[in-house]
This record gives sequence, structure tokens and C-alpha cells, in this order.
Amino acid sequence: MDFMELLNFYLMPGIVLGCIYALGAIGVTLIFSILRYAHLAHGDLATLGAFLALAIVSGFGVSPLAALPVAMIGTAVIAVFIDKAFYNHLRERPKIVTVMASLGIALMIRAVIQVVWGVDSESYVRGIVRPENYWGLRIRDREIYTIAFMIAVVVALQLFLGRSKWGKAMRAMSDNPDLALLSGIDNRKVIILTWLIAGGLCASAGVFLGLNTELKSMMGWHMLLPMFAATILGGVGRVDGAVLGGLIVGVAEELSVLVLPSEYKTATAFVILLLMLLVRPTGLLRGKVL
Amino acid sequence: MELIGLLNYALFMAIFIGIYALLSLGLNIQWGGAGLFNAGIAGFFAVGAYTSAILTSPAADGRLGGYEMPFYVGWAGAMLAAALIAWPIGKICLRFRSDYLAIATIGIAEIIRLVIKSEEALTNSARGISSIERPFGDLPYVSSQAAFLGIVLFLVIAAYFLVQRQFNAPWGRMMRAIRDNELAARAMGKNIEYRRLEAFIFGSALMGLSGAVFAAFNRSITPEAIDPMVATFLVWIMLILGGSGNNKGAILGAVIVWVIWSVSEIATDQLPHEYAVKAKYVRLFLIGLMLQLVLRFRPEGLLPERTTGVTRPEDEKSQ
Amino acid sequence: MSALLSMNEVSGGYGDTQILKAVSIEVAPDEIVVIVGPNGAGKSTAMKAVFGLLNVRSGNIVFDGDDITSWAPNKIVQRGICYVPQVDNIFRDMTIHENLEMGAFLKSGDLSAAFDRVYELFPDLKDRPRTLAGSLSGGQRQMVAMGRALMLDPKLLLLDEPTAGLSPKYMDQIFQICRDVRETGVSIMLVEQHAKQALAFADRGYVLAAGQNRHEGTGEQLLADREVAEMFLGG
Repeated sequence: MDFMELLNFYLMPGIVLGCIYALGAIGVTLIFSILRYAHLAHGDLATLGAFLALAIVSGFGVSPLAALPVAMIGTAVIAVFIDKAFYNHLRERPKIVTVMASLGIALMIRAVIQVVWGVDSESYVRGIVRPENYWGLRIRDREIYTIAFMIAVVVALQLFLGRSKWGKAMRAMSDNPDLALLSGIDNRKVIILTWLIAGGLCASAGVFLGLNTELKSMMGWHMLLPMFAATILGGVGRVDGAVLGGLIVGVAEELSVLVLPSEYKTATAFVILLLMLLVRPTGLLRGKVL
Repeated sequence: MELIGLLNYALFMAIFIGIYALLSLGLNIQWGGAGLFNAGIAGFFAVGAYTSAILTSPAADGRLGGYEMPFYVGWAGAMLAAALIAWPIGKICLRFRSDYLAIATIGIAEIIRLVIKSEEALTNSARGISSIERPFGDLPYVSSQAAFLGIVLFLVIAAYFLVQRQFNAPWGRMMRAIRDNELAARAMGKNIEYRRLEAFIFGSALMGLSGAVFAAFNRSITPEAIDPMVATFLVWIMLILGGSGNNKGAILGAVIVWVIWSVSEIATDQLPHEYAVKAKYVRLFLIGLMLQLVLRFRPEGLLPERTTGVTRPEDEKSQ
Repeated sequence: MSALLSMNEVSGGYGDTQILKAVSIEVAPDEIVVIVGPNGAGKSTAMKAVFGLLNVRSGNIVFDGDDITSWAPNKIVQRGICYVPQVDNIFRDMTIHENLEMGAFLKSGDLSAAFDRVYELFPDLKDRPRTLAGSLSGGQRQMVAMGRALMLDPKLLLLDEPTAGLSPKYMDQIFQICRDVRETGVSIMLVEQHAKQALAFADRGYVLAAGQNRHEGTGEQLLADREVAEMFLGG
């Protein structure tokens, strides 16, 4: 196999998949570090975002990319609602109780999707899209959009977290929640902001997964493990870590088929997760260990 | 005739409740006793089911196993296999907060599902394994069911007393004290890690046993026999509703939730096919909602844990 | 003398526990008050009571004319009391400048005057605003922590063992900074392990033991008191 073949058939799909995982993992890492629990409904929230976009695409006949912002806003608002209705009142209890509640929410979101949209595969656009050829690099438009969107999001988010007052407040909450309260930072607002960002990005992960593959009611649940593997690989609390982790997990999954039967692709994320917990639980970029 | 049908159904349901009670007791050791979050219950269940199937079924071409061993060997093997899978997972994850264990157990359950689906030489893939040894399987139907129920009841009672004894021992008191106080737990270090590992392995072994009983009862096991997410979740709601930390609660939860679950299934199966399919998801939604409501309004469950002799710290916030 | 802060016979603890038993403490404007006492005397707890971090069951706390008993911490911050905990008192993964900025979170508008004031008090911090706070030495961290608390121009600063674990050189420096801060019109209430040095530098002191008031007076009086000396100051 020559290099171009490796690039076109393994690395490129891996990077695209990695960008999708990264979009989800950013939300996971923010929630893990600021709200301090593992949000197990994150995958199914992504599925919900993907299907919301499908409803817009089929309802108004617009392109998936036009539906993306609406789906992101919708999912972000739903995420805030879920927090208010189900997680917020568990705040004073051990965090693991919220983890359990989120497993229940995962089931509830999925049930809603299965009732409304059924369990069959759907897609945004019918027909096969052939990749364009750029000097031997074969890449589809939707793959370019995925990568470009992820880069834009990360740049914007890093600027927000590094420069703006509320972005810094989010980092302060993640860094030292007690001191953030003593400094007069309104933690309720930080929590809402965190859910808006995580929910919106989560929806975008779902939409791009649907755009590059297909929509299924289980699509998000199957993304949960890679998203957490990416989060822990990069370092909990690190947005750049989530991106790095997402890309590594995505590429590793695609490359794994060279040595493993393709059924076990999803086992790659699990192996990465356990290996990191074993040798370097702080992750590549020195995040938190909760 | 009608009465016989009802009796048969009651036996059938009681056996299933017993199978779930074993799962619920297993989870109670992990969650109720040690605060460990196992989100891969169905995985340990499946390992038990397939291990016992391989050990007790007759030989078949192109597949491992077919040793035709007695059922009790198969069941013991099931417990051992589930424990052996739990060990490395626990070893790696129990150093950290239970969130990590939750993710890792979701992962292991997923891997187990993949192995069952794809390893033909081990599990016969989609066709599954049949002719599994069932104790008292040669008796006439009703007596066979009744005898099987007897075995299940014996197992549930035995498990209940074992877990109960453990909870009342110094082990249980120590575990409760540290479960509610992560800081104290960390301060106690290695010793605690080892105790938690014990709880995780012992609980998983019970789940493996439950899987073996399930496989024997059906005489066969296929990848589609249980929906991993639904099974895992049902066990969680059983324990939380019944009262985590309380073994009677774990069993009571299994009874209530299983009755609601299966009776509602019978009810919705009367609907036209189109609605019956959707109704399954509505039931799932309601089960999920039930968990949220219990967590909010009755977090201690129907039969709360007896906390005599244990001072629970007022401030349970774990960082 | 009308007190800026007065705790009147405050009893309470965490949850159901009873740590403070009718503790009364007063701080006048422009005064440095130190609370000393053996371990477990309830010194830090008394300070936390002021900041609304305690379950106060009887007694009240009046600050600048308002009864602030059991107010939420963020409301108390807004009212003009800032608190520096003994441990975990900085944002480690944020820069010095960002730490100060978070201290002024409730303030809108231009922060440059507040920054200037704090950097003037802590020249050590001024040279490297972009350094991560977590990479600083213990004494410098304490400065960041105090600087963060001063960003809101509080009327009263609460310091919980600011010199714990610091070298004598840094201890003197921190005490000197406290005097400088007082010069800018801020009262200070601090809890100290180093009773001798703290009483020597403070205006007034309180000795607590077993959650109760034991002695009070000026620093000199307390240092001269034989009973106090025997109890806490090692004879």
C-alpha cells in the first residue's frame, strides 16, 4: 500500500471521524471539568441534534449545513432544559448520582427519537457522493466542511475561554469551584453557559456524523465511548486535549482495521481509554483526574 | 385450562424475577455496598450465559465447547468467567472516581457484545448456542418449571444471606463509611482499593450466575436474547426503587419493576403492530422517567438502607 | 467606637455539629484583628461564619449596619467582605492577571485602577502578569490570593492563616503587606497559628479555645498576660 492509499482510505476518514469525536469530546470535557461528572447522555444528545437537523432538512427542504445552526441552538436549549429539570436538583448529592441520572436521560432521549423517527437508517441527502480529486488527495465536500467547522469552532472557543469574562469564569469554575463562588462568580450562569456550548457542539457532532455516514437511533450511543476515550486521552478539562484525543481516536479506529477484524473497530477506543487510565490518567496534555 | 395457563405464567414470571433479583443483589454489592457504578451489567450477564452454555451444551462442529458438563459446573464456570473479566477492569478503574468505572463498564459490555456477535468459533454468532443443560429439564412442563423455580429461589435466598452477612460484617460498615465520603476513602488508600475490587468482582460473579440461570432456563442463548441497555437499566431502576444498600429492597425492586415491565408488555402487545412497536419505546421512556422521579423524590428507595451504627456525613458533596 | 463588623454570641457549626459556642468578635474600621488559639479552637470556623459558610444557629453578625447572618457568599462579597481561604486559594491554571481579574468579577467597567492598586501592594506580581499562578512559590501564591481578594476594594479582608507554611522572611512580608493594606482603608481579620508574631503586629487580638471566647485585648496586653502565654505561646 502506498502513502496516498493510506492517506485516502485510512488517514482522511480517520481525521474526519476524529473531528466529529472532537466536537462531542469538547462538551464532555467541559462538563466533566466544570460540572464534575461524566455525562453519559452526551451521545444520545448528539443523536437528537442529528435528527432535529433531519426534521429541518426534510421539512423545509434546506441543506443540512443550513439546518446545522438551528439544530445546534435547539439542542443547546434542550440541554439547558434537561439540566434544569433533571440534573440541577442533584447538585448537592454525590456526583455519581447525576451520572446515573444521565444514563436514564440517555435512554429517554433515545426512546423519544425511536418513537418520533423510528429505528431505520435515514440520511440527509440521497445518492452517492464521489470524492473530488486534489492532486491525488481524494476528499468529499462534506469532509472539508466537517474539518473546517471543527477548526473554526475550536478557534472561537479558545478565544472565548481565553479572552472573555464569562469564558474565564468557566475556566475558574473548572479550576477551583469553591474559590469561584467566593469570588462572586454566579455558578448558575456558568452552568447554563456550559450546557449551551456543550449541547450545541454535541448537536454538530451528530449532524456531521449523519452527514458523513447515516442517521440511526443508536449512532450517538456508539459515539459515547470514543468521545470519553478522546476526553481522557487529551486530558480532562482541556479543549485542545479533546481535539487531539478525538483525532487520535478517530485515526486509530480507521487504522485498526489493518490489524483487527473490522467488527472490532469500536474496541480501539476502549483499549485507548484503559491504557491511558493505566499509564497516564492525566492525559497527554495534563488534565484533571477526578 | 385458564387456571393452568395463569399458573404457568406465574411460574414463568417468578423465575424471571429470580433471575433479575440475582442481578439486583449483585449490583447492590457494587453500588449499595461500595458506591461502584457498573453500567455494563448486561455484559457480565452475557459472559455468564455463554460460559455456562459452552460448558454444558453438547458438542457441535466448528465451535469451542460442547463439554456436556453438569449444570452446576457450568454455573460455577459462569461466575468465575464474569469475575475474571471484572478483575482487570476493576484493577484499572477503581483507583479513580466511579465515573471512570461507569465508562469502562459501558465499554466492556460493548466489547462483549461484539465478541458474541462475531466470534463464531466461540459463540456460534447470530445462531447462538442451544441444547444447554437445564436441571430438571426432563420432567413434565409444569413440574419442570416449578422445580426450576425452586433452584432459582434457593440461589436468591443463598445470595441474599451471603450479601447480608457481608453487609453486617466490619467489611460492610467500612464500605458504607467510605462510600459516602470520597476524601476519607482516598485517605485510606490501598486497602480500600482492594475492598472495592472485592465488591466489584463478587457482584459481577453474581451477575454471571444470573446469566447462566437465564441460559439454562431458556435452554439456549443468542445475541438477541437480551437488549443490553434495557437489561442494564432495568436492574438499576430495580435497585434504586427498591432501596440501594438494602438487600430486601433489591429483591422487592426486582419484583415490582419486573411485574410492571412484563405486564405492560402484555398490555401493549394487544395494540395494532404499528403502535405496539412504538409502545416499547414509550415504556422505555417511562422507565427512564421513573428513575428520575425516584432519584428526586425518594432517593432512598422503598426500603431505605438501615444506617444504624454508621454516621453519615451531613455534607455528602464529593469533589 | 462603632464596629465595622460585630459577631454577637454566634453559635453554630457544619450541619448539626456545634463548633462555635457564643463567640463574639468585633472589628473596628482600619483595624487589624487577629484570632489565635490552639488547634480545634474554632478560629477558622469563626471566620467562615462571617462569610456565610457556616450553619449559624443563634447569635447574629452585623457588618456596616447590615445583619449579614447566613447571607450567601456572593452577596457578602458584594457587600464588601472578601475572604482568602487557607488552602486552594488561587486558580492554579490561570495567570496571575486572570486570578486578579476573577477577584473583580462582580465589578463592571474599567479595572485598571484596581489592578494598579494591587500591583502596587504586590510589586513581585507586577513583573509577570502572564505567569500561571500554580507555578509560583508558596509566598507568591499567598500574594496572588490576597491580591485577588483586594480587587473588589473590600472594607474588610478575612485571611485564614496567611502565613501557614511560609518562611519567616515571607511571614514578615505578608504582615507588612497587611499593614500597607490597612493604610488604604481596609480592615483585616486574620486567623494565625504563629500567635506570638501575629499578636505583636496586630492592633487587637482574640484568644479562642474550645469554640469559646477566652481572652481579648490589644496585642501587647495579650502577650503580657501570663495565662495566655502559658496556654498558647509555649510558656
